[in-house]
Amino acid sequence: MKTAYLLPKKYKTIGWILFIAGLISGMLSYVLNFNNEILVTNVFTIYSDSFLGDSSFFKIIENSILDELIALSIIVGGLIVGFSKEKVEDEFIYKLRTDSLVWAIICNYLVLLFTILFVYDMTFFDVLIFNMFTPLVIFVFRFNFLKLKSQGHDE
Amino acid sequence: MTNNLKVERAIHDMTQADLAEKIGVSRQSINAMEKNKYVPSTVLALKIAKLFNRPLEAIFFLEDTD
Repeated sequence: MKTAYLLPKKYKTIGWILFIAGLISGMLSYVLNFNNEILVTNVFTIYSDSFLGDSSFFKIIENSILDELIALSIIVGGLIVGFSKEKVEDEFIYKLRTDSLVWAIICNYLVLLFTILFVYDMTFFDVLIFNMFTPLVIFVFRFNFLKLKSQGHDE
Repeated sequence: MTNNLKVERAIHDMTQADLAEKIGVSRQSINAMEKNKYVPSTVLALKIAKLFNRPLEAIFFLEDTD
Protein backbone atom coordinates (compact mmCIF):
# COMPACT_ATOMS: atom_id res chain seq x y z
CA MET A 1 0.00 0.00 0.00
CA LYS A 2 1.39 3.40 -0.99
CA THR A 3 1.23 6.30 1.39
CA ALA A 4 2.92 9.56 0.56
CA TYR A 5 3.58 10.90 4.02
CA LEU A 6 5.13 7.93 5.84
CA LEU A 7 8.84 7.80 6.66
CA PRO A 8 10.89 4.66 6.06
CA LYS A 9 10.74 2.03 8.77
CA LYS A 10 14.38 2.49 9.81
CA TYR A 11 13.58 5.79 11.55
CA LYS A 12 11.23 4.12 14.02
CA THR A 13 13.89 3.22 16.60
CA ILE A 14 15.38 6.72 16.73
CA GLY A 15 11.83 8.06 16.97
CA TRP A 16 11.07 5.90 20.02
CA ILE A 17 14.34 6.92 21.70
CA LEU A 18 13.64 10.65 21.18
CA PHE A 19 10.00 10.28 22.20
CA ILE A 20 10.59 8.29 25.41
CA ALA A 21 13.67 10.31 26.41
CA GLY A 22 11.71 13.52 25.83
CA LEU A 23 8.73 12.32 27.85
CA ILE A 24 10.85 11.17 30.78
CA SER A 25 13.02 14.30 30.90
CA GLY A 26 9.89 16.40 30.47
CA MET A 27 8.22 14.76 33.47
CA LEU A 28 11.41 15.11 35.50
CA SER A 29 11.87 18.76 34.70
CA TYR A 30 8.21 19.38 35.53
CA VAL A 31 8.28 17.51 38.84
CA LEU A 32 11.71 18.70 39.97
CA ASN A 33 11.08 22.20 38.71
CA PHE A 34 14.24 22.79 36.74
CA ASN A 35 13.76 26.30 35.67
CA ASN A 36 15.83 28.78 33.96
CA GLU A 37 19.40 28.05 34.97
CA ILE A 38 20.34 25.06 32.85
CA LEU A 39 21.82 25.33 29.36
CA VAL A 40 21.49 29.09 29.11
CA THR A 41 22.59 30.24 25.67
CA ASN A 42 22.05 33.05 23.26
CA VAL A 43 19.07 32.45 21.04
CA PHE A 44 17.51 34.39 18.21
CA THR A 45 13.94 35.47 18.77
CA ILE A 46 11.43 36.88 16.34
CA TYR A 47 9.26 38.14 19.14
CA SER A 48 9.17 37.59 22.87
CA ASP A 49 7.64 39.54 25.66
CA SER A 50 9.03 38.85 29.13
CA PHE A 51 7.19 39.44 32.39
CA LEU A 52 9.87 41.82 33.58
CA GLY A 53 11.64 44.07 31.18
CA ASP A 54 11.28 44.91 27.55
CA SER A 55 9.87 42.93 24.71
CA SER A 56 12.33 41.78 22.06
CA PHE A 57 11.71 41.97 18.36
CA PHE A 58 14.17 40.25 15.99
CA LYS A 59 16.88 40.14 18.63
CA ILE A 60 19.40 37.83 20.25
CA ILE A 61 18.35 37.06 23.84
CA GLU A 62 19.52 34.72 26.59
CA ASN A 63 17.34 31.74 27.36
CA SER A 64 17.56 28.31 28.96
CA ILE A 65 17.12 25.93 26.04
CA LEU A 66 16.33 22.88 28.19
CA ASP A 67 12.56 23.15 27.74
CA GLU A 68 12.98 23.76 24.01
CA LEU A 69 15.11 20.63 23.66
CA ILE A 70 12.60 18.53 25.60
CA ALA A 71 9.63 19.81 23.59
CA LEU A 72 11.44 19.25 20.29
CA SER A 73 12.43 15.76 21.34
CA ILE A 74 8.85 14.76 22.26
CA ILE A 75 7.29 16.28 19.16
CA VAL A 76 9.87 15.14 16.61
CA GLY A 77 10.10 11.69 18.24
CA GLY A 78 6.31 11.34 18.41
CA LEU A 79 5.85 12.36 14.79
CA ILE A 80 8.48 9.88 13.66
CA VAL A 81 6.99 7.04 15.72
CA GLY A 82 3.45 7.75 14.57
CA PHE A 83 4.30 8.39 10.94
CA SER A 84 6.98 5.92 9.97
CA LYS A 85 6.17 2.70 8.19
CA GLU A 86 5.28 -0.47 10.07
CA LYS A 87 6.94 -3.80 9.31
CA VAL A 88 4.10 -4.54 6.92
CA GLU A 89 2.25 -1.44 5.86
CA ASP A 90 -1.20 -2.34 4.59
CA GLU A 91 -4.75 -0.99 4.52
CA PHE A 92 -5.63 -2.39 7.93
CA ILE A 93 -2.64 -0.74 9.63
CA TYR A 94 -3.53 2.45 7.77
CA LYS A 95 -7.05 2.24 9.19
CA LEU A 96 -5.70 1.67 12.71
CA ARG A 97 -3.52 4.76 12.31
CA THR A 98 -6.34 7.02 11.17
CA ASP A 99 -8.74 5.60 13.78
CA SER A 100 -6.17 6.33 16.49
CA LEU A 101 -5.76 9.89 15.24
CA VAL A 102 -9.51 10.52 15.40
CA TRP A 103 -9.63 8.92 18.85
CA ALA A 104 -6.72 11.07 20.05
CA ILE A 105 -8.27 14.34 18.86
CA ILE A 106 -11.67 13.57 20.42
CA CYS A 107 -10.14 12.34 23.67
CA ASN A 108 -7.78 15.30 23.91
CA TYR A 109 -10.48 17.90 23.43
CA LEU A 110 -12.91 16.21 25.80
CA VAL A 111 -10.26 16.39 28.51
CA LEU A 112 -9.46 19.98 27.54
CA LEU A 113 -13.15 20.94 27.75
CA PHE A 114 -13.27 19.46 31.22
CA THR A 115 -10.17 21.38 32.35
CA ILE A 116 -11.44 24.64 30.82
CA LEU A 117 -14.51 24.32 33.02
CA PHE A 118 -12.86 23.17 36.23
CA VAL A 119 -9.21 24.29 36.27
CA TYR A 120 -8.22 27.91 36.71
CA ASP A 121 -5.30 30.31 36.99
CA MET A 122 -1.72 29.05 36.91
CA THR A 123 -2.79 25.42 37.02
CA PHE A 124 -4.55 25.97 33.72
CA PHE A 125 -1.24 27.20 32.33
CA ASP A 126 0.18 23.76 33.16
CA VAL A 127 -2.77 22.20 31.38
CA LEU A 128 -1.90 24.23 28.29
CA ILE A 129 1.69 23.02 28.44
CA PHE A 130 0.57 19.39 28.64
CA ASN A 131 -1.89 20.02 25.87
CA MET A 132 0.96 20.76 23.47
CA PHE A 133 1.84 17.07 23.63
CA THR A 134 -1.28 15.12 24.58
CA PRO A 135 -2.75 14.72 21.06
CA LEU A 136 0.50 13.17 19.84
CA VAL A 137 1.04 11.10 22.98
CA ILE A 138 -2.52 9.71 23.00
CA PHE A 139 -2.27 8.98 19.28
CA VAL A 140 1.02 7.06 19.59
CA PHE A 141 -0.16 4.99 22.55
CA ARG A 142 -3.60 4.28 21.08
CA PHE A 143 -2.09 3.21 17.75
CA ASN A 144 0.37 0.84 19.38
CA PHE A 145 -2.29 -0.50 21.72
CA LEU A 146 -4.60 -1.29 18.78
CA LYS A 147 -1.74 -2.95 16.92
CA LEU A 148 -0.96 -5.18 19.90
CA LYS A 149 -4.64 -5.94 20.45
CA SER A 150 -5.18 -7.03 16.85
CA GLN A 151 -2.20 -9.34 16.98
CA GLY A 152 -4.33 -12.27 18.20
CA HIS A 153 -3.14 -15.84 17.95
CA ASP A 154 -2.19 -17.62 14.82
CA GLU A 155 -4.24 -20.79 14.51
CA MET B 1 -19.97 -8.56 5.90
CA THR B 2 -18.75 -11.96 6.94
CA ASN B 3 -16.39 -14.47 5.37
CA ASN B 4 -15.18 -18.04 5.47
CA LEU B 5 -11.50 -17.21 5.30
CA LYS B 6 -10.74 -19.57 8.14
CA VAL B 7 -12.34 -22.50 6.31
CA GLU B 8 -10.55 -21.69 3.07
CA ARG B 9 -7.31 -21.40 4.97
CA ALA B 10 -7.86 -24.79 6.56
CA ILE B 11 -8.64 -26.35 3.17
CA HIS B 12 -5.37 -25.02 1.77
CA ASP B 13 -3.55 -25.82 5.01
CA MET B 14 -2.30 -22.30 5.57
CA THR B 15 -1.63 -20.36 8.75
CA GLN B 16 -2.64 -16.72 9.05
CA ALA B 17 0.99 -15.80 8.57
CA ASP B 18 1.21 -17.86 5.35
CA LEU B 19 -1.86 -16.20 3.90
CA ALA B 20 -0.70 -12.76 4.99
CA GLU B 21 2.67 -13.25 3.34
CA LYS B 22 1.15 -14.60 0.10
CA ILE B 23 -1.04 -11.55 -0.41
CA GLY B 24 1.36 -9.04 1.09
CA VAL B 25 -0.53 -7.81 4.14
CA SER B 26 0.13 -7.96 7.87
CA ARG B 27 -1.02 -10.95 9.89
CA GLN B 28 -3.13 -8.55 11.95
CA SER B 29 -5.23 -7.86 8.85
CA ILE B 30 -6.04 -11.54 8.35
CA ASN B 31 -6.79 -11.94 12.04
CA ALA B 32 -9.10 -8.89 12.04
CA MET B 33 -10.93 -10.11 8.92
CA GLU B 34 -11.50 -13.57 10.36
CA LYS B 35 -12.92 -12.03 13.50
CA ASN B 36 -15.21 -9.88 11.34
CA LYS B 37 -13.62 -6.76 12.78
CA TYR B 38 -12.38 -5.51 9.47
CA VAL B 39 -13.99 -5.33 6.04
CA PRO B 40 -11.23 -5.59 3.43
CA SER B 41 -11.03 -3.29 0.43
CA THR B 42 -12.21 -4.63 -2.92
CA VAL B 43 -8.61 -5.01 -4.03
CA LEU B 44 -7.69 -7.12 -1.03
CA ALA B 45 -10.87 -9.22 -1.29
CA LEU B 46 -10.16 -9.91 -4.98
CA LYS B 47 -6.57 -10.87 -4.19
CA ILE B 48 -7.75 -13.39 -1.61
CA ALA B 49 -10.37 -14.85 -3.97
CA LYS B 50 -7.74 -15.15 -6.69
CA LEU B 51 -5.30 -16.90 -4.38
CA PHE B 52 -7.89 -19.47 -3.32
CA ASN B 53 -9.10 -19.69 -6.90
CA ARG B 54 -12.71 -19.11 -5.90
CA PRO B 55 -15.31 -16.53 -6.91
CA LEU B 56 -15.58 -13.59 -4.53
CA GLU B 57 -19.08 -14.58 -3.38
CA ALA B 58 -17.81 -17.98 -2.24
CA ILE B 59 -15.58 -16.34 0.35
CA PHE B 60 -17.28 -13.08 1.35
CA PHE B 61 -20.95 -12.78 2.25
CA LEU B 62 -23.26 -9.87 2.96
CA GLU B 63 -25.09 -9.89 6.27
CA ASP B 64 -28.60 -8.67 7.04
CA THR B 65 -27.15 -5.61 8.75
CA ASP B 66 -25.20 -4.53 5.65
